[in-house]
Amino acid sequence: MANSQEQTYTPPPETQKLIDELYREEVLQARAMDPVEKMMLGGRLFEAALTFVKAGIKHQNPGASEQECERLLTERLRLQQLLENSR
Amino acid sequence: MNPDEATIGVSEALNERRIPFILAGGYSSNFYGIPRTTHDADFVVRVSAAEFQDLPTALGRDFERIEQLSFETNTGTLRQEFQVRGTRFKVEVFKLSGDPHDQASFGWRVEADFGRTKIFLPTAEDVVIWKLRWGRPEDKEDVRNVLTVQRGKVEWPYIEQWCMQHGTFGLLNQIRETVPEI
Repeated sequence: MANSQEQTYTPPPETQKLIDELYREEVLQARAMDPVEKMMLGGRLFEAALTFVKAGIKHQNPGASEQECERLLTERLRLQQLLENSR
Repeated sequence: MNPDEATIGVSEALNERRIPFILAGGYSSNFYGIPRTTHDADFVVRVSAAEFQDLPTALGRDFERIEQLSFETNTGTLRQEFQVRGTRFKVEVFKLSGDPHDQASFGWRVEADFGRTKIFLPTAEDVVIWKLRWGRPEDKEDVRNVLTVQRGKVEWPYIEQWCMQHGTFGLLNQIRETVPEI
């Protein structure tokens, strides 16, 4: 049910125009970059994303110790893995 | 150790032992497509069973094996998973299978020079073929990105030939129709 709804949804023309323009920019940027540098961004982006996730965990759990925050981060990553594997 | 150092470190260790490898997964699609985050580096290695068992020794103390030997479902090959000490980043190492496309893609691998070491990658065509076989949402997105960024540069007959064999030709065409003229 959810899948058929997802497949038939089409964004409004103005939104689609914006999506297409943003994608075009991404493609042109990617073509202009050094491929090796672009390749190494994957791990760097992951580290940057972790910083934001950790900040979110601390914000949601103000009294939690560093150890507790790390445990919650482990839980989040485990959940992400489960979601990825279930698709 | 950070993800860059881990990826280069594994490549150095494999090169030192003259173990042929490919850096696959998100790293290879980032090389040809649009960069996205990736939580692991996937290496495919051509080794004997004994060399594969001995990988923890080859990689050294910075890589802690968290999963010993398990089967990758697509081609039934063996894999080992390592946690890079002090980070959340992981390294997965797959033993090159006897699957005809896996074998062919290894023969076409390309070399990227990192100064202190060499990293070997699949061709853009083989990244597309692999990703279509996995078929997860992120893989389909990677295929579209690679085909768009590499527009006019890929060998379509090679991709089509393997996709017909793998039963992914329909999916390839679905994605191909969405590749914009940029």
